[in-house]
This record gives sequence, structure tokens and C-alpha cells, in this order.
Amino acid sequence: MRRVIVLFHGVILTALLFLCFPAHLSLAAVGCNLNDPDRDVPRLFPESTSYNTRYVSIKQLGGDHLLKKIEKRLGEKHLALYAPIDTPYTLYEIYTGKKKVGYIHGVNQKGRFGGIQVFMAQDLNGRVKSFYIQRISGQMANKLRNSKFYRKFTGITLKDFDTFDPISGKGSGRIAEIHNPSPEIETDFFGILRGLKKNLVLMDEFVFSTGGGKS
Amino acid sequence: MISRFQIAYKNLLRKKARTLLTLVGIMLSSWVLVSLLGFNRGYEQALNHDIDNMGYQLMVMAKGCPYEAATMMLQGGAGLRYIEQSMVDSIVSRPEVAKVTPILMQAFFDPNRGDGGGIAGYYGVELASFPGMKPFLRFRQGGWFHDESATEAVMGYEAAELEQREVGDMILVPEKNVQLKVVGILERTGTQDDGTIFVPLKTLQKISGIDKITTIGIKLKKDADSMKLETALYQLPDVQVVSFTQVKQTIMKLISTARVMVFSIAIIALLIAMVGVVNTILMSVLERKQEIGILKTMGAMPGDIFFLVWTETLILCTSGGIAGIVLAFVFARLSDILVRRILPYAPGGELVAIDTKLALLTLVVIVVVGLLSGIFPAWKAGRVRPLESIRSEG
Repeated sequence: MRRVIVLFHGVILTALLFLCFPAHLSLAAVGCNLNDPDRDVPRLFPESTSYNTRYVSIKQLGGDHLLKKIEKRLGEKHLALYAPIDTPYTLYEIYTGKKKVGYIHGVNQKGRFGGIQVFMAQDLNGRVKSFYIQRISGQMANKLRNSKFYRKFTGITLKDFDTFDPISGKGSGRIAEIHNPSPEIETDFFGILRGLKKNLVLMDEFVFSTGGGKS
Repeated sequence: MISRFQIAYKNLLRKKARTLLTLVGIMLSSWVLVSLLGFNRGYEQALNHDIDNMGYQLMVMAKGCPYEAATMMLQGGAGLRYIEQSMVDSIVSRPEVAKVTPILMQAFFDPNRGDGGGIAGYYGVELASFPGMKPFLRFRQGGWFHDESATEAVMGYEAAELEQREVGDMILVPEKNVQLKVVGILERTGTQDDGTIFVPLKTLQKISGIDKITTIGIKLKKDADSMKLETALYQLPDVQVVSFTQVKQTIMKLISTARVMVFSIAIIALLIAMVGVVNTILMSVLERKQEIGILKTMGAMPGDIFFLVWTETLILCTSGGIAGIVLAFVFARLSDILVRRILPYAPGGELVAIDTKLALLTLVVIVVVGLLSGIFPAWKAGRVRPLESIRSEG
């Protein structure tokens, strides 16, 4: 009889564990996903042959401590509006054949007239390979959504933000040299820079600082 | 003195593996049955809740495909045709009508959404009548517009989340480049309102350069004859009337086919489980023939043996049934998610609604069907002839 009870408890426990996962996801806030990964991944990572989608959250990787650490690194109180600690961040792992060659990751950032979705592709050393603004609102938004502007971000690493503060907009180095293509949309321009820094910091915490970058 | 229950319980423990397998069979059929009954009730409740949350029972719109209209009501979307706003006055005077609200749905193309651009939808509503239709809407921040022609917007929770907006922020209507100030953000409702941007009707009419509306929402008086009003409204020129009763009936009709199939599977599962019960008890009776014979020589009557064997069935069915119900409660959320993925349209709220009453009903069904299945083995045990069984080799 004891065996029967143990078996029954096992079934109930497995059921509870199984239940916790989808319930958790279904209540979580919306993350930032590529609209059409099958089309967008080869565009951002031309040498890719396949990709794997992984979901990570700050809660899962380090909880409150990690959140505070990230906020401190960013110098911002909130990562994004309506983004609780359990927000699932979508991480696209990029492969050429069986070899992992990099990552694509995006974040939501507040803009002047709406949300800005900033995506970047990174190689295994954390260097930006390509940059993409999936969504932005405003009359002059097309000035920020063009390949000429995107190319200015190629090669940037998190280290480039050591000498530039995207909140005050002051500093020197590579980021400071990026010219705002439209002075009328300064809020969105600095929003994009803040989004890029947030992207780099999150990727550093999720992947590179844990040594998982090349594995 | 040892009771009949204790004897029956000990008998079942003699062949643990067989008893366990029978229990699992009953448990699974009980789980399926209670989950299906829960879905049967939950889906209708959730659909009613969604329809009640619309705030109105009837919608009048320009003539077009009724299925498009139904989709527009339940999933959101843009109206393609317009009706005169003066039609509101002719409807509001009817005796069945409690409240009326005019609505204008507009969609604008935003080239900066994704690669090929996207559509931004706006819902023009009247401050005087719309909030009264939906008193259940709660604000996370701020409130409704300050006046009927304010350049302001109220955002559903998911719309605000996507646009990263707070009260005081601005939004820009694409194509028209009109700025609107966000004055309110709604709490999550689980309905299409979550993804909606509400704008004062007059403001949206001005932005769009249209003095018409796309829809009239009608709330009926209590006990009003909906059919009579629908017939009368159909006399209005170039309009179609969509009642939520119709929408509900159409959806329930679509679901009923699937429901019949699933119920058939549940009945088959129940029958298989009961065949398992008959098999287990009958095997147990045949194995204990000599023992039953001895019991009879000691004075046990056929009725005593019958009830002893029947008690074994009762224990099996009750334990299996309860275990299945517990599993159904534990897995209700998972079942909900799975059903939601399978169904083409699933209303918000709980789709698999299991409560104590439903659980008890299922248990009664399982026990009654189980006891009926147990009659034959119990009767067979009661008819065992003492001397013959003792003489026979075990």
C-alpha cells in the first residue's frame, strides 16, 4: 500500500511541477520578439543556416539581485514600462551548420510617441554585427529606420558605453560620434542608444558574463 | 470484529498490481469525464462573460458579411463601411432599448511597424454613453477623456504595454500625424479592450474627416424581446444587425460537434474502465472460490458474499474516481491551455470550470456505473456452491 501512496504522490508532484511552468508563462508580460524570425534572422545574420529560440528571465537567472545590478549598470530605475522581473526575453541563438556563431536579441524602449523595439545581432565576442529598429512611432521615424543609420552601430561593444552616457547624451568615443540624422527626434535618438545599451547589458548578464557566449 | 470493508480492502491488497492498474483505469476515465463536464460548463460561462463584457447585446452596422461582423466584435478589427449617426436617434426611441452608444472604428497605416508596415486601429467612442455601457472597466492610471472633442486617448493595458505609454505621454496617429495625450490606461480585462486605443468619437471623426460611424452598440432593457427589436432594426436601410445571442449560438454550434466526439471518447474510456473493474473482481472471485465456499459452510448467506464482493467494487470505484477528480483539479489549468491552443476561438476566462458540485456528480456517475458493473461478479460469487468449491483444486 505504501508503494501505491508513494506512486500517487509522485503523480501529483509531477503534475504540480508541470503546471507551474505554463501558468508562469501565461501570466508574464510581453517580451520583444522578431515579427518574422525566418525572414529576419538571415537578414541580420547572413551566414546563419538555422537558429534556436530560447526564453530567459531576470527572475530565473538571478532574481531581485540581478535586477538591481542591471538597473545600476544602466543607471535607470525601470528596465521598461510594464516589464516585471519575470518578463520573458527572447534570445535567438544563431548557427552556421552545427556551429553557434552568434545571437540576436531585442528590447522594448520608451520613445516619444510609442514603443521602440531595438534589435541587434552579436558575434560570440559580444560585438554588434548588425542593428535593426523593428518598430518606432513618429513622423520622422523613417530617418532612424534606414540601413545607413543601422551601419553606424556595426562593431560596437558594451565597452564603448564606458565613455558615453545615453541618459544625459554626453560623453566621447564611438557612440558620441554617431550623428543624429534628425535633430527634431532627439528623444527617439537617445531612446535608441539607451535601448542598445540595455540590449548589450542584458546580453552580458544573460550570456557573456556567465561564460556561455562561445558555448 | 473485522468489518466487511476491512475484508474487502484486504482482498484488494492481495493482488496489488492488478488493483493498481484497475484504479489507474478508473482514475483516467474519471479525470477525462470531469474535465469534459468542466469544459462543457466553462466554455459557455466564459463565452457569456466575454459577451457580457462587450457591454451591449446588439450591434448595428453597415451591411456586409455577418461573419466578418462577428469576428470584428469578438477579436477586434476595423469597420469597412459607414452608417449615418442620425440612426442612433431612431434606435434609442424604441421601447426595448435601454442605452445606445455610437462607435467609429478607424485603421491607419503605419509604415514604421515591422518591415512592411502595419495597421494602427483606433476606437472612437462617446464619453456620454460608452463608459456607462462598460461600468466594469477599471483604470490602472488616469480616467476617461475630459470632453467629447478632447485630443486625448485611453489605452487598453496591452496597447499601453506595446507602446510603452503612461498617463501624460503622447501618441501619434499615423498617416494623419495628429498627437493625442494619453489620459487613462485600463486594467487588463482579458478581452479585446486590452489591445484597443479609445479616442473621443468627435476627435476621431475630425481626424478621419468622416462625420459617420461604423457601429451602434445597443443595450436592451431587462426582459426586452431581443428578436422583436432585431426584426425592427432590419427594416432600417442598408444595415445588418448582429446579436450576441446569434454569435453565441454560432460558436456553440461549432463547438458542439467537437463536444459530441469528445464525449463519445469519454464514454468509451468509462466503459473500458468498467470492463477492467468486471475483469478484476471476476478474477478475484474465481481465485477465491474455495475461500468463498468455506465462508458459506461457516454460515455466510449468498447476500453476505454478494455485498462483500460489491464492497470491493465500491472501494475501487470510489478511490479511482476521487483520484481522477483530484488530477482533474490539479491539471485544470493545463487542460485550459491545451484546449485554448486547439480551439479556433476561445473566450477569455476559465475554459475548464470544475467545482465541487461537478466533482461530486462525476464521482456519483463513476460509482453508480462501477456498482452496476460489479453486479455480475458479485452475483457469481454469491452463487458459489460450498462443497463443490471446497472439493475443487485451487
